[in-house]
Amino acid sequence: MKVKTEKKKPFIDMTAMSDVTVLLLTFFMLTSTFLQKEPITVITPASVSEEKVPEQNLITVLVDTDGRVFLALAGDKDSTQSSDKVRVELIKNVVAEYNKLNPSAKIELTRAQCETFGQIHMFGLPIKQLSQWLSMTPDQRDEAIDPAKNPNCGIPINMNEDASKPNEFQIWMKAAYNTSNDNLQTAIKQGKGIAIKADGSTPYSIVQVVMDNLQTLKMNKFTLLTALKTEGE
Amino acid sequence: MAKGKTYTEKKDVRVDFTPMVDMNMLLITFFMLCTTMIKSQTLQISLPSNEKVEKKDQNKVKQSEAITVILDSELDKDGVPVKDFVYYYEGMPEVAQEGTEIVSNMQEIAFMPNENGKAQGIRAIFQQRNKQVLEKINVLKDKWKAKEISDSVYQAKAKEIRNDSTLTRPVVIIKATPNASYTSLVTALDEMQINNISRYQIDRINETDSAMMTPFLLKRLNAKK
Repeated sequence: MKVKTEKKKPFIDMTAMSDVTVLLLTFFMLTSTFLQKEPITVITPASVSEEKVPEQNLITVLVDTDGRVFLALAGDKDSTQSSDKVRVELIKNVVAEYNKLNPSAKIELTRAQCETFGQIHMFGLPIKQLSQWLSMTPDQRDEAIDPAKNPNCGIPINMNEDASKPNEFQIWMKAAYNTSNDNLQTAIKQGKGIAIKADGSTPYSIVQVVMDNLQTLKMNKFTLLTALKTEGE
Repeated sequence: MAKGKTYTEKKDVRVDFTPMVDMNMLLITFFMLCTTMIKSQTLQISLPSNEKVEKKDQNKVKQSEAITVILDSELDKDGVPVKDFVYYYEGMPEVAQEGTEIVSNMQEIAFMPNENGKAQGIRAIFQQRNKQVLEKINVLKDKWKAKEISDSVYQAKAKEIRNDSTLTRPVVIIKATPNASYTSLVTALDEMQINNISRYQIDRINETDSAMMTPFLLKRLNAKK
């Protein structure tokens, strides 16, 4: 006699699983802040300091091992002083200041170019090249500030202790300080508004140039970005 | 035939959620990879203003309180720091020439983590010099750990102790050579936090310091050979 066993299709109920995944997804979507694209990757040195880096009202000075400097500006929570708007104001200030210092080689940016600048997280090119840079496509822009592809990128900086003849880095910092975002000004005065981000293997002489430049601008208080290290008691 | 009554077969309605789960998992992976869970920490420093100060207005550091830490690194061919060196001297620099040798009160030391709960390297020296502050802070810390005082009270009181001028506290002067790695500077600043030293400054290296360093540099060169 033949026994026929009925073949049953195993059916796993995925509803519960789906519930869990949707929950997790919601959690990640709500808590995530996306990694911002940066032209270079740095590994910051470790420290025991537990103070977190602020998200608003912060100028990040990214320094690479060869001394190239990049800047990023984050605005306020308040929508009238959001990052986009503050950056547009920043570029206008910078152009005005640059033209005042170089009356013979004035540069001009269109409104659209300024708007584009508002969307950009990190920048680092000589001011002269800005107009050209802002007309590029986003991919081309990323390439233009990538040291591997354009070794001449970075904001020009040199040892300069004369605040009346600022170098381009100092023009940028001063312009950022003078935007109408008062909270950024307060943050800078308290020493929370400027963060230097440099790789641990950067020679001190390079970091010193940046620090000296800030000192010349009387921005004596700032923070250094570090990774967390736990110290055994 | 049965009249009037029709039986509709009750069918279990089951929706297969597997593709949905697949998709969700994919999205979760995407978000997990793109988010920054760990935020960077910050170390706050304030530099002195670089305005020229008249000699008479200068704050002189008491000799007995000063510790000068000098940071240096060895570079490889590409100019990348490979090994950090730390030197220190207490009080004023004392340097003399004995024949061809330069003798000074500078000593070589290193940044070291604690070993079996005991401070090593330069931390041991800082702790020795900042004993009075650390003792008071430890008492406070025990209270805080036992939850007798709140976080904010602990922070405020700790700050008060750190800045208490009636205690003997050291003044640390951190000097870094141009070759020193950024890591060593941050480590040095970090030691200030670990050892609750409130008075420290970053200064430029001067000729005396360079002269004092020469015997150590020579030793390093010889060791390489």
